[in-house]
Amino acid sequence: MSLLQDAVSFTGLFPEAVVCGTVMAAVCSAFGVFVVLKRIVFISIALSEAATCGLALALVYHFSPLAGSALVTGAVVFMLTLPEKRQHLPKDVVLGTVFLLASSASVLLVAQSGFGLEEIKAMLYGDLIVSSPRDRWVLLLTGVPSLAVLLLFLRPVLYAFLDREAACVMGIRCWFWEGLFFFLLGLVVSGASKSGGALLVFCLLVVVPATALLLARRLWAVIGISVALGVLTTWAGLLTAYSADLPANPTIIGLSCLLLMGVALIRAIAVKFIARR
Amino acid sequence: MNGNPVIQCRGVTIAYGRDVVLDRIDLTVPRGTLLPFVGPNGAGKTTLLKACLGLIPHQSGEILCDFGRRPPAYVPQQKQLDPIYPVSVHDLVCMGLYPERGCWGRLNSGQRARIEAVISRFGLAPHQHKHFGELSGGLRQKTLLARAVVTQAEVLVLDEPTAGLDASSEEGLLTLIRALHETEGKTILWVHHRMDQCAALARQVCRVDKHGVRLADVSEVTT
Repeated sequence: MSLLQDAVSFTGLFPEAVVCGTVMAAVCSAFGVFVVLKRIVFISIALSEAATCGLALALVYHFSPLAGSALVTGAVVFMLTLPEKRQHLPKDVVLGTVFLLASSASVLLVAQSGFGLEEIKAMLYGDLIVSSPRDRWVLLLTGVPSLAVLLLFLRPVLYAFLDREAACVMGIRCWFWEGLFFFLLGLVVSGASKSGGALLVFCLLVVVPATALLLARRLWAVIGISVALGVLTTWAGLLTAYSADLPANPTIIGLSCLLLMGVALIRAIAVKFIARR
Repeated sequence: MNGNPVIQCRGVTIAYGRDVVLDRIDLTVPRGTLLPFVGPNGAGKTTLLKACLGLIPHQSGEILCDFGRRPPAYVPQQKQLDPIYPVSVHDLVCMGLYPERGCWGRLNSGQRARIEAVISRFGLAPHQHKHFGELSGGLRQKTLLARAVVTQAEVLVLDEPTAGLDASSEEGLLTLIRALHETEGKTILWVHHRMDQCAALARQVCRVDKHGVRLADVSEVTT
């Protein structure tokens, strides 16, 4: 009963946190399935950091946070879609450099701005609790259409990722679908970074879909479970943080990681048990 | 089926950066042939076929391809597909129908029947709902070949289809490849290393080495 009361009371006090958390969790967890499948986890953390850097830029120079994060994320996405041959460096090195540059630039920009430590922390780690109606609209206008486009064109995107060369021979324009995916991913990360912060966005893009992949064997089921787990862990994290007076985003991240470890452990035991029988 | 050559290369040069792999080569591949591409590692066998499929650009020369009414079907090595993807054998064979179905098309009864026929022909019926990653190397390669066959393409291009397979899987796959050529008259171009198997299956081979590219009688190469 107390849990229900807490849930009602939390929703009444922080409706934007619930809406923003739900939208962000649903969208990032769905996109994350492809991030994990394509083994581009490092790209997602680099994009999250680039979006944070854009937010810092917007904060210092007083322009729209979405424009700031979209600008920097867009530049990184453009760089990533260039053929590897033109980059003259392994992609891992490029991503690592982007990650480091974006992280340090975020801290330096905010440090130079005269804002306090709390602003820097809020910028880097995000805080769902303080989400505003503006954040809600940004998330709805970037995340929902992006997810709709991804689901609408799921087939060519999947085929381009699964077997690029065979797909190209079939007439699928792989470069277009890959570029579209990265563009949408950049948009989603830009929209989610202000409320979620780099760490929560990264968690929803990686940890939650990885858990779903352990639980299901068909793509649609994986996407559905990933979205459901993302939303449920976000709600559970928000409620736990409210009840125990903890910061919301790290609580959601902690719960997601515990869930992944739990599912991985149970699966390993189940596989051994089935093998013995 | 027309009588034009499937592929005509005239003075084609292919390079990776400054590293020239094939230099001003000429080649004509006749229709309806089962043609293994043989040669030492790094000679450019796979590169040549990929250039013909439009997967790799060529620096100079001309490549004319006439693959017939449908796009060719490409069969990569099974290890090129990441087993992490949550797709079944059936899903992968369905992928072959993308040119007909497009982004949103559902399978019609004729397409379903074609898929079932190909799956049972390749002995994949008991495995059709299994996750691709759970299959043995031989079954994975059969699945990729089934995906190529379901397209009804006239030309199949296979990149070392038996690489990493055990002897019995290799034998089974080669039997299927031969049957596709003999019973359906498909043009099959494939990269292969085992000359003894080439001799058993084909009359001609395409030899790719440092001297260039040329069609040779299989007996000439094996002796």
